[in-house]
Amino acid sequence: MDIPAFIETFNPIYYAIPLFVILVCVEMIHAKMTGSARFEARDSASSLAMGFGNSFSGVLFGGILTAWAMFIYQFRLFDIGFAWWVWPVAFIFDDFIYYWVHRLGHTVRWFWADHIVHHSSQHYNLTTALRQSWLSPLTLKFLWLGSVMILIGFHPLVIGIVAGFNLIYQFWFHTEAIKKMPAWFEAVMNTPSHHRVHHATNPIYLDRNYAGVFIVWDKMFGTFQPELEDEKCRYGIVRNIGTHNPFKIAIHEWLSIFKDMRHAKSPREAMMYLLAPPGWSPDGSRKTSKQLLERWHARVDSGEATGPATEAEAASGASQVTAPAE
Amino acid sequence: MLFVWVMLGSFVGISAMVALNVFLRLGEPARLASLDEAVERLDTDAIGFRAGAGVLSEDGSAALVEENGGKRIGLVTAKGDEFLIRYIEPGLVRGARLGEDAKLTIRLNDFTFPPYTMGFADAGEARMWADKLNAMQE
Repeated sequence: MDIPAFIETFNPIYYAIPLFVILVCVEMIHAKMTGSARFEARDSASSLAMGFGNSFSGVLFGGILTAWAMFIYQFRLFDIGFAWWVWPVAFIFDDFIYYWVHRLGHTVRWFWADHIVHHSSQHYNLTTALRQSWLSPLTLKFLWLGSVMILIGFHPLVIGIVAGFNLIYQFWFHTEAIKKMPAWFEAVMNTPSHHRVHHATNPIYLDRNYAGVFIVWDKMFGTFQPELEDEKCRYGIVRNIGTHNPFKIAIHEWLSIFKDMRHAKSPREAMMYLLAPPGWSPDGSRKTSKQLLERWHARVDSGEATGPATEAEAASGASQVTAPAE
Repeated sequence: MLFVWVMLGSFVGISAMVALNVFLRLGEPARLASLDEAVERLDTDAIGFRAGAGVLSEDGSAALVEENGGKRIGLVTAKGDEFLIRYIEPGLVRGARLGEDAKLTIRLNDFTFPPYTMGFADAGEARMWADKLNAMQE
């Protein structure tokens, strides 16, 4: 099979970098003029340093990933090739895989150790989009989830290019400057509003909206949560970090897992620390997202606190829930 | 070779973005308006925090609040234009050292929490909180 010459060296992200820089600068100026986005210099610097390091890491580990991809490509089921229709199909399929990779990235602590980097800023602006991890291959997800499309028969170069475009799409919606897109667009595509929910730590927003490009995956698999007017997003992670040091940001959750596993009382407990959802602990002293949501609902129901409408209530137009004290 | 140019360009771009951020003075330092604000933040963050005695630092950049009926002390500190929260439990404190001018430096056994210094209105109050925190070293 002949590989078209233009794709052999084509990396769309390289060409998007100048656009990233321009848009970040525009958002900063917009933030200064309108106050519609928040920046903090050290936070921005650490986010950008994480993005810079992610590029180096891509080169360091790229050889291993490429070798693996070309190895398993020998065992593909079909020869899909490079016809024009392959590209949109690959783009949609890649986004579907991305949804599941991303979902696992939030629900299995081993994978969360890598993905937490992207969520570790308490700000939500375009620099946050570039806050990426350095140690992704340690999750070993490329061995299985990353291999699905290759084994079906999509060429690794095709997957690499559509994945690049997927990431480029995901850049623009890391902003508070855009409130809502047109309704038809919000219904199908991932948008700033949908992704703000994903980055928020409010219990009702935790572990929602995993989509990359098409928000329809969340609607299909029951993880969609619209942004609610009366529940302002609080960004970051459940236990925010107090450091801007890129090295600490890159490894802090890996170290935390190692420490927990070292003190585990049994092999089962050690494996749970690695594979259970983030927040799991044998004595329940820490809380998972699900437990936090249950606690929050219990609190709202008891009348101790007010809460926003649930998704169903929001959809039905019901007003904010303020549970009566019993 | 393209990668080298991309990295060099990225470095220049990052420098420009950070410089613009500093130049525009984006992000005012976070300050707590009152102890009530600190309690509210702790309560929202923990989904329930029953506040006991507490103290706000002189400049409003930090607060310590004891949990009523619990063993924890809630700590709210400014981190840039945001706040960082820790619920200090026995064993989490590495040390609380009293400095000059009623300043208290808190060190935690927490890789992601750098030492934090908060100023008190009077030295007696600073000493009292230092004692409470140091009692939580074990």
